[in-house]
Amino acid sequence: MENRILHVEDNPDDVVLTAMAFRKAGVAAKLDVATDGNKAIAALSGSVSNLPPVCVLLDIKLPSLSGLEVLAWIRKNPALKRLPVIMLTSSLIPSDINQAYDLGANSYLIKPPDLDSLIELAKTIDMYWLRANTPAVATV
Amino acid sequence: MDPKAVLLERATRPARPNTSPQNGAARPLPDLKANILIVDDRPDKLLALEAVLDTLGQNLVQARSGKEALRQLLKADFAVILLDVSMPSMDGFETASLIRQRPSSEHTPIIFITSIGNSENHIARGYSLGAVDYLLTPIVPEVLRAKVSVFVELHRQTELIKRQGEQLRHLEETKHQRELAVVADRLETETRRNRFFTLALDMLGIADFDGRLLQLNPSWQGILGYSESELKSVSGMDLVHPEDRPAMLEQMEALRGGNRTAQLEGRYRHKDGSYRWLFWSAAPFPAENLIYIFARDITLRKAAEAKVAHLNQELEQRLNSLTAINSELEAFNYSIAHDLRTPLRSMSGFAKALLEDESANLSSLGLEYATRIARSANYMDNLLLDMLAYSRLAGAEMVPESFELDEPVSELLGLVEKEIRDKKVSVQVSSPLGSVFAHLPTFKQIVTNLLSNSIKFLAPQRLPQVKIYTTREADFIRLWIQDNGIGIACEHHEKIFGLFQRLHDNQTYPGTGIGLALVRKGAERMGGRVGVESDVGQGSRFWVELPAVPASQDGK
Repeated sequence: MENRILHVEDNPDDVVLTAMAFRKAGVAAKLDVATDGNKAIAALSGSVSNLPPVCVLLDIKLPSLSGLEVLAWIRKNPALKRLPVIMLTSSLIPSDINQAYDLGANSYLIKPPDLDSLIELAKTIDMYWLRANTPAVATV
Repeated sequence: MDPKAVLLERATRPARPNTSPQNGAARPLPDLKANILIVDDRPDKLLALEAVLDTLGQNLVQARSGKEALRQLLKADFAVILLDVSMPSMDGFETASLIRQRPSSEHTPIIFITSIGNSENHIARGYSLGAVDYLLTPIVPEVLRAKVSVFVELHRQTELIKRQGEQLRHLEETKHQRELAVVADRLETETRRNRFFTLALDMLGIADFDGRLLQLNPSWQGILGYSESELKSVSGMDLVHPEDRPAMLEQMEALRGGNRTAQLEGRYRHKDGSYRWLFWSAAPFPAENLIYIFARDITLRKAAEAKVAHLNQELEQRLNSLTAINSELEAFNYSIAHDLRTPLRSMSGFAKALLEDESANLSSLGLEYATRIARSANYMDNLLLDMLAYSRLAGAEMVPESFELDEPVSELLGLVEKEIRDKKVSVQVSSPLGSVFAHLPTFKQIVTNLLSNSIKFLAPQRLPQVKIYTTREADFIRLWIQDNGIGIACEHHEKIFGLFQRLHDNQTYPGTGIGLALVRKGAERMGGRVGVESDVGQGSRFWVELPAVPASQDGK
């Protein structure tokens, strides 16, 4: 069974660089991309019937719905409320950080400035969330 | 014929009122002699009378005829007249009637002397002429003396009363004079008070319990513009600003109720329609239903107060807008820093990808360009991070704590351990460094910057050395970070702590020009200072001074 990660990111460069970093890091999971909040919700809604992603990498500054709004929607959705959400953003604004945690983000990561660091981060995510972490148990 | 009056001055002993029937009173009578007029045409009888009366010790005056008697009466006042009825030319009765006609002698007692033979007739006539008594000849000396004594005493009493009356009048007069003086004094005082009243710059007045002015000084007109009669004809309340009226009415009520003084500030309408601020002080005088009023024009003071209040308000508004601008600026700095980093990530990321993944397809020049792009992106990222740190430092709230310097210093040295090893820097820390009361994260930021400087500006051909030690400066601890690098010329010592100040090109010594500005800002925010001692080629000694932990807390 193939692990999938939903990457919500509007910046095409970041999409490409993140994909590059995950590939260079040797992460086995496949990255799905949603380029704004609405598309993220649509992707997640469709996934309910199928299989939800292992985790969501969520940017904050997004067109249409912001990352925080998407996060709030996820936490209110009974089928997705326990889904690990990792904020991956460049925002250091204290209110963004705290709001994300208040809304139930599982982690808050700052986009690294260079590729090497991004590769390291991809490895860490893979190691922790995809391997070490025990996901919530689905109730029928 | 010239009648001769003989004034007998035989009083050799002081007159004693032993003959007076009322004598014996405790109060001694004044020592005065009464005049007694003896009128007789016969010298022998005069002599006899004189002999009898001499023992009374009074002044005896003789007259040989009625005419002479009248003359004597003009000269002096007599206590009693002994008048012989039968005298030639002018007899006693004629003389008596003349005596009675004169106002000065109309009440002088007259004792007629007559012979027994004529007594009946004479006595009746004598009384009709106002005689008080009569004596029959031959005279019985005791009777004569007794009768004369009565009149002498009467005279003395009268005289005494007269004198007492005079004395009394004198006393009255003195009292009157004194009262006059008091009145004059009071008048003077009142006049003087009135002068103060007139001259006072403040408004002085007296009003009735309805607030109507009865008396007022000229200042009222000067301050409020109304004439005295205009002010007296209106109720004071009509001039009070409508907003101040309730307070004024309340004070009036309190005054009527006997409240000792009332004080308040209020606006009063000037004749020109404007309002003047007056400070009032008033006291009631309930006995007369009057209120004494003192009022001062405080319009200028009020205007000044209003101006100050306005300025304060303006200042507060400005401060608020400044605070707003400041926090906006802070937010702006944040967003600039991280929004600018986004494209930088792409630049450095793709440059790196070019160098790593596409190096086979690139010429050496292409590789060099990609390297330059990566380096620039990296530099700009550092710049943005420093700016972000600086703006955060300037705006953040810092809660200081007590901590020992050794721990963070060795921790920070650990972070640059690799660089120290690579550059073969010998680092010497003089532990223990002591404790300060500061904001630990900011302290770490400061030391990080100073440490990185000390191992950055290395002098070529010299084994790099860094010494870290502290000195105590009163209530402060000064942390020194000393290197033997290239040093800094004296004229640059101040400049280097400014924002974006750099002394070297980026090739030789890379940097953003923010590091030392951040060091200074951080130290100042913690109540400390920074400085440098250095010269070109002599190495640099940077110091940061922070509040020492008070001795009482040191052992904790």
